Amino acid sequence: MAATLALPFTGIFISILVYLIGQWLFDKTNGFFLFTPLLVGMVLGIVILMIWAKMTGSTTAAVYKTYYKPGGDIIFWFLNPATMAFAIPLYRRNDVFKKYWLDCVIALFVGGFVSLFGIHAVAKLFGLSATSTAAMMPQAATTAVAMPIAQGIGGDPAVTAMACILNAVVIYALAEFLIKVFRLKQIPKVGTGLGLGSAGHTVGSAKAVQLGSVQGAMAAVAVVIIAVAMDIVVPIYANLFLH
Amino acid sequence: MEKKQPEKKAAPILVQMGIFAAILFVSALISSLFPKSFVVPTPLIGMIILYILLATHIVKLEQVEKFGDLMISLIAFMFVPSGVQLAGSLDLMKREGLQDIIVSVLATIIILVVIAYVGALVIKIHQKLTGRVDDDEETEKGAN
Repeated sequence: MAATLALPFTGIFISILVYLIGQWLFDKTNGFFLFTPLLVGMVLGIVILMIWAKMTGSTTAAVYKTYYKPGGDIIFWFLNPATMAFAIPLYRRNDVFKKYWLDCVIALFVGGFVSLFGIHAVAKLFGLSATSTAAMMPQAATTAVAMPIAQGIGGDPAVTAMACILNAVVIYALAEFLIKVFRLKQIPKVGTGLGLGSAGHTVGSAKAVQLGSVQGAMAAVAVVIIAVAMDIVVPIYANLFLH
Repeated sequence: MEKKQPEKKAAPILVQMGIFAAILFVSALISSLFPKSFVVPTPLIGMIILYILLATHIVKLEQVEKFGDLMISLIAFMFVPSGVQLAGSLDLMKREGLQDIIVSVLATIIILVVIAYVGALVIKIHQKLTGRVDDDEETEKGAN
């Protein structure tokens, strides 16, 4: 029995189940921001593993490793082709990208580097440990790219994943509010699009499309270029300021 | 790389998966060449290669679009395991989970605002330097 449960079926089933529950809750509540399917799925999945651990007198970490991880890893692997597929929306907006490519690259490298100072300062302010601080750094990159970068500079990739998930939740819930408060409609559209794409990844792109086609295109561009920028800029920042 | 498909007709899904698999395979090989101190993740390289292949028309949009869109539409679900992964770091979460959450939320806002304004600044400087007036900025502003 225990050996069977350790096969990938368990993790795959739990993942799909909790996500579907999340989707159902999200629909039922007409899109209440805390019931984003991913957030619900993540919390519910952890709760299931905690209960499982309590019932079997084991630790949650052990249950996670033995029973959930084999299946979870299979789903996780598909982030490789999915992340790679972001090249497609970028290519679809190649007309806009060609026009602004230099501005985008400069803005995302410089902006990405500058925002690292901000994140570092906030992390210090709240007294995060070195592992968590390092994990916070690359979160502007999409999760599948941010996790290995975080690991490379000594961060806990699980915390990075959580940060990236929260990015999407925050942008989903607060994009309109933040755009208003920070007057993001009054600045050139390219900037707004890049900001939304970097901060909210796919969710940010969806929000940006609602603002206009230039913003949408720039957000799609940002998802790809900020990942490249983080990959280069974060290790440099970590070398200079983190250790 | 691929045999010619009739115009605009989507390539069979297995061919599309084959293109993805081939690019990821090469990306993994390239990724392994980088040192531990400078990790370049496989999907990042894959993304760049796919974009170059599309931009140079070696791979056509209809040869990757269907599978790619499917993958992107499922991406939120695929993040469930990386979220549940926290179950393995619950000690860390108990110690500073709340701080982690607050910092993540603030970091999102920092990234949004800093990059938006740096982007705006770069565009303005670029326009000053080239004397270029952006046509869609102007027309769309006029329309508002």
